[in-house]
Amino acid sequence: MSLLQKLDAARDFQDQLGQLGVNAIGATIDVTGSATEGKIEGKRVILAGTNNYLGLTFDPACIEAAAQAVRTHGTGTTGSRLANGTYAGHAALERELSVFLGTRSAIAFTTGYVANVGAISTLAGPGDVIMLDADSHASIYEGAKLSGAEIYRFRHNDPADLDKRLRRLGDRCARTLVIVESLYSMLGDVAPLDQFCEVVKRHGAFLLLDDAHSFGIMGETGRGLAEALGIEDEIDFVTGTFSKSLGSVGGFFASRKHDVAPLRSQIRAYMFTASSTPSVIASTRAALKRVAQGQALRSQLWRNCQRVHEGLTSLGFKLGAAPSPVIASLMDSPQQAAAAWQVLLDAGVYVNLVVPPGAPKNLSLLRCSLSAAHTDEQVEQIIEGYAAVAQRLFDQPRAAATAYG
Amino acid sequence: MISYDECVSEIQTLLAQSHAGGSIVPPESDLIDELGLASLDVMELIEALEDRFDVAFPINELGDVRTIADLAKRIQTLT
Ligand SMILES: Cc1ncc(COP(=O)(O)O)c(C=O)c1O
Repeated sequence: MSLLQKLDAARDFQDQLGQLGVNAIGATIDVTGSATEGKIEGKRVILAGTNNYLGLTFDPACIEAAAQAVRTHGTGTTGSRLANGTYAGHAALERELSVFLGTRSAIAFTTGYVANVGAISTLAGPGDVIMLDADSHASIYEGAKLSGAEIYRFRHNDPADLDKRLRRLGDRCARTLVIVESLYSMLGDVAPLDQFCEVVKRHGAFLLLDDAHSFGIMGETGRGLAEALGIEDEIDFVTGTFSKSLGSVGGFFASRKHDVAPLRSQIRAYMFTASSTPSVIASTRAALKRVAQGQALRSQLWRNCQRVHEGLTSLGFKLGAAPSPVIASLMDSPQQAAAAWQVLLDAGVYVNLVVPPGAPKNLSLLRCSLSAAHTDEQVEQIIEGYAAVAQRLFDQPRAAATAYG
Repeated sequence: MISYDECVSEIQTLLAQSHAGGSIVPPESDLIDELGLASLDVMELIEALEDRFDVAFPINELGDVRTIADLAKRIQTLT
């Protein structure tokens, strides 16, 4: 068997996707001047599949901060944080994150993926146990694998199943890291985090929350699901990303309960990769300020979510969860999902096409992600796009105007 | 500790319900190559066995399991 067989298998997989007849995966998007509009294959579209929850990629203050930083500090740091890559901005961002989150310390990473891989693989090691939600993000699985710990999965969003599995571990719970997310990125469903906290505490295990998707958009001040539930002090460790609500790129690892700062000299994914460029750090810091005072943005976002959720429900779509910035429509097959994706694109609406094996439970989804920056007109147009899908694919088409009017 | 035979028979029963069209397949059957299980199906099979025997099966060991017999041996040592 040749090494190159993997290339053949990958090509077969690409061909399989190609047979869906759409160029949905890795479509080139031309974005100019707006968080919510772009061009795909020369056609103007509303971007409704971007995770740009607060629309901060084009926030004037964030852009100005980045532009100034690139002029003053250059295009890159050309080094890792432990060598020449820690600038004043990196340290300031970490301080500001700690203050914002109320954590003892915070470590910034080059991406959220790297934050998870680094934090998880360093917190747990051989002899320890990692218990993860079955629908965890790839970076969580990757960090767990790299740690050398024993790994167990529990059923997605199921505290009773976690309880049962922790019980089986007995005294090994003291060496166990349980990992959950907040808002799950594919179906838009939210973890029963308070129940998870209770179970983890009762068994004497530790909880790491990957707050990639609720950071910035939930809680009174945007500190995420744990703030909304009033249980931030119960959570041992938090990781997150700058690539969703903060509109830049990077990730973090922080804790209210434990001082994570000493791990800087242990986390290989922190020590042996270049630090973020100064412009990224500058726009992230500006975005963090916007998030902290972002009540109006959050209200707008949740209004948009509510309207699209209502609109799609009355059009007859089966949705993945209650209203949230991720609204997933469950389709019958990858082929149907691909056809629907194309109808939406033709109607000027870009969403994410999610098909097996990329989707949880082998589902085929149209994943719409909403932004505070979507205007009322854009929200209407998104719903109209789905109305066109309903008309083409469902037995009982309904007029969009009456469905959500 | 439960017996190896008991474990094999439980796996065979579960597979007959889900994948083997009702028939009992031999213990040497390769779960993926012969029985055509996807990796998600293997996970589900293991979850069912974990509940049946009240054991915890680490997913790090998934790669070592190819046949029904492999799985039965490993589950047996966990009980
Ligand atoms: C749950 C979750 N964790 C981590 C990440 C990784 O974040 P980043 O894009 O910053 O690498 C993502 C996003 O892709 C995510 O959805």
